[in-house]
Amino acid sequence: MHHSHIDKFAYQDSPAHRLDARIKFLAMVLFTALVISLPPHSIVIISLYAIGPFSILVIGKIPLRFVFKHIIAISPFIIVLALSCPFYDRAVISVSFGPLSWQITQGWLRCFNILAKFSVTMMCIIGLVSTTRFTDLLAGLGKLGMPRIIIAQLGLLYRYIFVVIDKAQHMLVSRKARSLHYLGFRNEIKTASAMIGSLFIRSINTAENISISMQGRGFEQKWRSLSQNHIGKSEYFFIAITFIYVLVLEIFAKQLFV
Amino acid sequence: MHMQNELLSVPAAGATLTIAAGALAFITRRAKKVINADKLALMGILGAFVFAAQMVNFRLPAMPGTSGHLIGSVLLAVVLGPTLGAIVITSVIIIQCLIFQDGGLLALGCNIINMGLIPCYVGYYIFKTVKGQSWQSVRTYIAVITACIVSLEIGASLVPVQAALSGVLLVPMSTFLITMLGVHAIVGIIEGVVTAGVLGYLLRIRPDIVSDKLEGKYVLSKRAVIASLLIVTVITSMGFSLLASGMPDGLEWSYAERPDQSEFEPIIANKNSTIAQVDTFHERYSIMPDYTKRSSELGKTLSDETEAAASWTSLAGMAGAFITMAFVWVLAQIIRKRSASKPNPDITAA
Amino acid sequence: MTAAIEINDFSYSYADGTSALKDISISIKAGQKVVLIGPNGAGKSTLLLGIAGFIKGSGKIYIDGIEVNKKNNKQIRSLIGCCVESPDDQLFMPTIYEDVAFGPLNFRLSRDEVKARTKQALETVGLWSLADKPPQHLSAGQKRAASIATILSMKPRIITLDEPNSSLDPSSRDKILELIVKLPQTVIVATCDMNFAAEFAQYAVLINNGTKIAEGNYVQIMSDEKLMTSHGLEVPWKYRNSKDV
Repeated sequence: MHHSHIDKFAYQDSPAHRLDARIKFLAMVLFTALVISLPPHSIVIISLYAIGPFSILVIGKIPLRFVFKHIIAISPFIIVLALSCPFYDRAVISVSFGPLSWQITQGWLRCFNILAKFSVTMMCIIGLVSTTRFTDLLAGLGKLGMPRIIIAQLGLLYRYIFVVIDKAQHMLVSRKARSLHYLGFRNEIKTASAMIGSLFIRSINTAENISISMQGRGFEQKWRSLSQNHIGKSEYFFIAITFIYVLVLEIFAKQLFV
Repeated sequence: MHMQNELLSVPAAGATLTIAAGALAFITRRAKKVINADKLALMGILGAFVFAAQMVNFRLPAMPGTSGHLIGSVLLAVVLGPTLGAIVITSVIIIQCLIFQDGGLLALGCNIINMGLIPCYVGYYIFKTVKGQSWQSVRTYIAVITACIVSLEIGASLVPVQAALSGVLLVPMSTFLITMLGVHAIVGIIEGVVTAGVLGYLLRIRPDIVSDKLEGKYVLSKRAVIASLLIVTVITSMGFSLLASGMPDGLEWSYAERPDQSEFEPIIANKNSTIAQVDTFHERYSIMPDYTKRSSELGKTLSDETEAAASWTSLAGMAGAFITMAFVWVLAQIIRKRSASKPNPDITAA
Repeated sequence: MTAAIEINDFSYSYADGTSALKDISISIKAGQKVVLIGPNGAGKSTLLLGIAGFIKGSGKIYIDGIEVNKKNNKQIRSLIGCCVESPDDQLFMPTIYEDVAFGPLNFRLSRDEVKARTKQALETVGLWSLADKPPQHLSAGQKRAASIATILSMKPRIITLDEPNSSLDPSSRDKILELIVKLPQTVIVATCDMNFAAEFAQYAVLINNGTKIAEGNYVQIMSDEKLMTSHGLEVPWKYRNSKDV
């Protein structure tokens, strides 16, 4: 599953990983907002914006092939959205790029614009999630003001998603090992239910036991956690670089490029 | 029904995020009073349950070429109460956005409102209104199905509204709206049927679990209930995944060309005034030296030299971007090779 | 710092009326290493839950003279730490560091104290280097050790462990054994593995079908072949006569 890959990368070490989660999160939000707010016909400037998240991915030692594969995997929805543009905007314009020039509809420009924006914003979020341990991200979000209950809920959900998925995978293997022929849809459901019954018995105590564990360790109502984030020299450096980069792009590059 | 960033403009995203954040702040304050270990553990497990259920696409029977998925908001609202239910579904949506990139970050506010807050609250109150005194009657199931259909329709109808307010989409809002409502009517019925099925199971096994006074009275020793929810989760995940289709989501279907109807004519002229205005706005305030418009009333034509010079600028720009990225990559490799040959002085664990 | 446990006529029935424990009376001295032995389904886990006050039965349980009831809940929480059988239920935080810190944090200790206790607990079980790992990245033995660490950080006087050596490979099992032996607290371990029990037990309580069958010095009880086999258990290797092997 994709998530297990992202989880793996988050436990590596690199200058990107060591940055405070809050800073990375805010930078990502800012970047996403800036890219989304670019005009619908701009393409060149989006490629300039791509440098930022790209650098984070490289510094964070995240394999680029994985990133692009992942972006392609999650793009069907946006591809459909993008392709709807050429249908609705048939205004013809001519485009020149270097030595080449040809005619194209505005709709196609918008299409590429959407795809480019999508790629860059996805690179941003993948950059954040694959260089930040989820628990640090949660702590950072908590410090940024997210309510404690939601932080607790996110933590528990994250913790037990993998348990559920693992169990489901085990069950699939178990079923596969004992299936020879396709015995009809009804039978499939019957088999699935039977296997799930045994999984059920195992899972039946989970929520209750978690509750017992929580109470056993003194939990009453308030969710408390230790935050490990801190702002230091590297954070200030990152903020400064991002600031300058964004400023350059917004003010100068927008004048020159599209 | 997850919206992506590209459907929204930044102001619209900001507004919806603020609304959602405000609502959540209010909800969590109320929830604090009833939260205890039992509830929290149950909410966590149900989050995983909803997640697994949501990951299953099933083909919609009446509409070839599309698929829907269970959202689960109404179910959570009926079992946990709208407040706790909304918190759980919000956490699911956030995880989907961050970890699975299903739904854009800026669209988080919209998604939380459309798929979380509206279905939970509207669904819950419709359910309570339609449902009769007793839990064991057919009326309960009708209540569930009605609640699902209506609340999902409302949530679905907000998507075109939010997109239109952003002015990014070229599709006319009326078309978008009608298609969204149509598709999600089917989704709502299915959601209702599945939710009713799960609820029926709960009522058969432990009728006391879903009481009328949900908030503050919920007790977690209902092993069978939670367990059966997990069963249904995995049944839907595994059994239905046999039917899982890679067809586009209902949302995409509404404003893209319908793949199975080749005679479908997309609307060409953009008569929506908002979108035209936004277009003009973009035209006036962004400089597009490369583009020469020959057949559009928007924009200006430039002279040939400016055009030629400008086109080289864009080439330079884009080339520059890619060269910089390549440079960063190479630099990183060099630095890494260098530090790999040096012995590492300290390895800190935590 | 240890505590004594006094259980008087404790009974408990499930919601549907089935009796789980009947009139259990046990006396455990402070600082003892106690094994709660019995076949599967004897009621060992249920009894552990009862001692810690998670289930409400009839009869009275006293920990260091303090009655186990809702009113004294806070005190009881700080005196007794329980490890449930499955580490996946014990470890519910995204990283084991947070899991181990959870207890002290709930006791409202200062941040520095919490950090110090967490480090100490993790070091005691030998997992400090893996502190930032999520539980799903740990092996079964590591998870078990982490579960114990989550209790140690609370510095309880009594520790209960429910089948701590289940699913462990020999080296992990030995590590857990080492840990149990060096723990200064009163330790109650529920197990059906007699060989494991023989390695550290001082006092044994045998229960079956929800009733207490025997209680006393562990060698006496565990080397009684008739007693062991009639309750689905066995005599540990080290107490078997060469004739019986």
